[in-house]
Amino acid sequence: MPKLNTFRDLESLRERLREDRRKITARVILCGGTGCQASRSRLVIEAVKGELAKQGLDQSVQVRVTGCHGFCEQGPIAIIEPGNIFYCRLLPEDAQEMLSKTVRSGEVIERLLYTDPVSGRKIQTESDIPFYRGQDRQLLSRNRELDPRSIEDYIALGGYSALVKVLESMAPEEIIREIKASGLRGRGGGGFPTGRKWAECREAPSEEKYVICNADEGDPGAYMDRCVLEGNPHSILEGMMIGAWAIGARHGHIYVRNEYPLAVKHSRIAVQQARELGLLGENLLGSAFSFDVDITRGGGAFVCGESTALMASVEGKVGEPRPKDVHTVVDGLWHKPTTLNNVETWANVPSIILKGSAWFASKGSKGSKGTKILALTGRIKNTGLVEVAMGTPLRTVVFDIGGGAVNGRRIKAVQIGGPSGGCLPVEKFDLPVDFDVLAEAGSMVGSGGMVVMDEASCMVDVAKYFLTFLQDESCGKCVPCRLGIDRMLEIITDITEGRGTPEQIALLEELADTVSQTALCGLGKTAANPVLTTLRYFREEYDAHINRKKCPAGVCSALITYAIDADKCDACGVCIRACVHGAIQGQKKQVPQIDFQLCRKCGICRSECKSEAILVN
Amino acid sequence: MLQYVTINIDGALIRAVKGTSVLDTAIEYGVCIPHLCHVSYLSDFGGCRLCIVEHVVNGRANVTASCTLNVQEGMVIRSNTERIKKLRRNLAELLVAQAPNSRAIQDLALRCGVKEVRYPFRNRNCVLCGRCVRACTELWRARAIGFVGRGKNRRVDYPLGVHPDFCKQCGACVQLCPMTITPCEGPMKPGQERLCGKCESQLLSADQTPDTCGWCKLGEGFSCGRYA
Amino acid sequence: MPPLPIEAILEGRRSQPHQLIEVLQDVQENYGYISEEAMRAVAQGLGVPLIEVYRVASFYKAFRLKPCGKNVLTMCMGTACHVRGAKLVLDQAVGQLGVEPGERTQDGLFTVERVNCLGACALGPIVTENGSYYHHMTPGKLRRLIESLRRKEKKESQHA
Repeated sequence: MPKLNTFRDLESLRERLREDRRKITARVILCGGTGCQASRSRLVIEAVKGELAKQGLDQSVQVRVTGCHGFCEQGPIAIIEPGNIFYCRLLPEDAQEMLSKTVRSGEVIERLLYTDPVSGRKIQTESDIPFYRGQDRQLLSRNRELDPRSIEDYIALGGYSALVKVLESMAPEEIIREIKASGLRGRGGGGFPTGRKWAECREAPSEEKYVICNADEGDPGAYMDRCVLEGNPHSILEGMMIGAWAIGARHGHIYVRNEYPLAVKHSRIAVQQARELGLLGENLLGSAFSFDVDITRGGGAFVCGESTALMASVEGKVGEPRPKDVHTVVDGLWHKPTTLNNVETWANVPSIILKGSAWFASKGSKGSKGTKILALTGRIKNTGLVEVAMGTPLRTVVFDIGGGAVNGRRIKAVQIGGPSGGCLPVEKFDLPVDFDVLAEAGSMVGSGGMVVMDEASCMVDVAKYFLTFLQDESCGKCVPCRLGIDRMLEIITDITEGRGTPEQIALLEELADTVSQTALCGLGKTAANPVLTTLRYFREEYDAHINRKKCPAGVCSALITYAIDADKCDACGVCIRACVHGAIQGQKKQVPQIDFQLCRKCGICRSECKSEAILVN
Repeated sequence: MLQYVTINIDGALIRAVKGTSVLDTAIEYGVCIPHLCHVSYLSDFGGCRLCIVEHVVNGRANVTASCTLNVQEGMVIRSNTERIKKLRRNLAELLVAQAPNSRAIQDLALRCGVKEVRYPFRNRNCVLCGRCVRACTELWRARAIGFVGRGKNRRVDYPLGVHPDFCKQCGACVQLCPMTITPCEGPMKPGQERLCGKCESQLLSADQTPDTCGWCKLGEGFSCGRYA
Repeated sequence: MPPLPIEAILEGRRSQPHQLIEVLQDVQENYGYISEEAMRAVAQGLGVPLIEVYRVASFYKAFRLKPCGKNVLTMCMGTACHVRGAKLVLDQAVGQLGVEPGERTQDGLFTVERVNCLGACALGPIVTENGSYYHHMTPGKLRRLIESLRRKEKKESQHA
């Protein structure tokens, strides 16, 4: 395609692409995101393409491979247009029937439809599925409309028209005013008002400035950014361009964690295509704005999600944070003013420019505007990516959208905000998804990762899990984080192994307080949150571990024993083979015995037993 | 030409040189702020966090390391509030529990008011203060040692683990290391670690009069910033 | 595909210290680990002190300083995978192969690695092996996977 030299060129191209799009009525939309790829979607996609050719449909039916739809557990997913028919859990063998019946004649194949786990009904369209119905999918819904490897799709949908609007008719100060008025706050965890950040960066005097997209997404259990970057990379590019124009930057970086190979690939393709069209480079579309972007890969370090560590990493150094007494908007990458924002923050910018700050601010609560993507995972029926208006109560997300508990268990808590966040008990589920309200409750919205826990999760074990994670990821530079987390973990390990004493709780609290006040960076400062929130809301579990040497959830291996229920056991011998410690002995067709000396309570036998005959005491 | 700003440390108005840190200024004027990783002729990286102070901004008291905080006109610093003393004490407690076999660390613990150690002692021979690394990097630029690894596995090592021939044998790393001088009563064997605190040093009174440098024993062998 | 020579990886990046991480990533991709000779060559090529190359190579999890097994089993240890029993899957791998995470088995066939979140959280526990994702893993499924990989290795060595 020839380079676009003027705004007019872009609009002409857009018209042509829209025309072409309108001509196609029959489509098979297949999800090619990482989640579906894990479910072998590539085989399904190959099968569909093969069948189209075989059935002579490849000229009249378009196949669109999109990014992540967010409903990963139901993958591989397909949507048939016209009719908007939603099929899930597809196998390559289904391709033939899907095309010959649904695509050719609109006939719906019942067994491929989604079954609502709560009502048992089969549902035909995405928007009727309760999981989707409760959401406001401003960002996520775009993913099904485009192939992330096609800049043409993005342009046909109106992409880069926000960029044209700002270059044609908005001065930088006006852009910043709009962003401020929208109330957009950082979606990566900090929740810092984006407009204010841009304003401060604009004021910093320098010829050289940078914009950075933080796609490090280190919070385990969070994959919102992966979804947006994999599925709609141009939306981030456009957002960054608008920001760069506003603050006076000519260069940007998208820093992607290398554990997301597909996001890296799609970002690189997007940049390449934008360069070819003249949407990156010198004097874009004939304007005075020159801008280009580099894709930089992370090296595998959670701490590189911290802004100064990320910048050090871009500079080719170890990702060790440095003090932020002088903000990075003044002294950032290469000591120049830098605006660093999260993927989701950048992705929201084009719509704010096009639809206006009032539109964005009309959603959400007083202090938290717009929508937020949450990664809802854990012990609930519907797991996946959810986008809701800020201010939505947790209860709605967990029970209405998430569908409630699995296996008839009782939901106990939700962990929000990753390792920097905290656990909130079910009694607090009326609290809204709101930066300030959740922070006051001791937790935080964070990046949006929400892990639901039920009675089978031990909250002390959860605190231990996060401390172990943070200890692994700490850069080790400062004493409170390096030694403080280590000692907190030592104490919690004592508690989970039956050596806890009541005095240790007071010590744990004092140490947690010291670490959060003296640590050099955000990782250390928030490291104590999982401990502090579980102490605040689940004190009984700590007390049980310390005073009665019991783990109520049956998780902490030192405090439980396994036993085989002879009534349920069908003597299949699977557990004997499965045990890696040789702790189960038995003759064929006889109920086996567990040797308590050798049994490590690792749980492997329990997960293999089909009769659920191994009990936890 | 040196430029000056006026800053407020613990109520005293002090004339500070622009471009210097709050810690350097405090040491210059004899205000005792305990520190471990700071060496006056090497760069500061804010690792030990012992030099924390309260920096009052818009009515809020932010805890921050004074070695990496540059002086600004009119800034208000409080170096010895109850909150700061408690935080410092807890940090020093962590350090002495990690490496009790160093006179400097024991003295620092005493200076920071550590009365008891509530963690099991470990007998490590490095506290990762980075003095050696910065000396090697900045004084002789030999780059013969450096920090390697991450988090719990962070350590000081030679390039690829082998003592290089480009080491200039200057001895600066050894001179600056707080672990080279053992406690007065001799090295502590594993199992015999304890909080020392036996000597009647001026360190005990430093807590009461932090605004007057007492030329305490902490300077000997360890080179507190004031002695350098 | 034969690995690119270090000279080729350094091409166009000489004397640019800020390219250190990108260069090491290319070395890691081509050779499976960062050898001592590689570190020396990179130090010289980029103009970065050897200790700094060593520091960066040892800081980031993406870089291995020891050669890895033919089959690298990467286990996701993220929160969502954890609450679904990822630890059991890791225990199975460690027990069955007899190596700690990061180490290589005696026969050079397997390495077990841990990673903190691959972003496929709804499908956990996740194990990846040389680019393929395995979802909803259980200790039993992993045992069968390892056994099938062993069988494949045996077949390949017999044909060789």
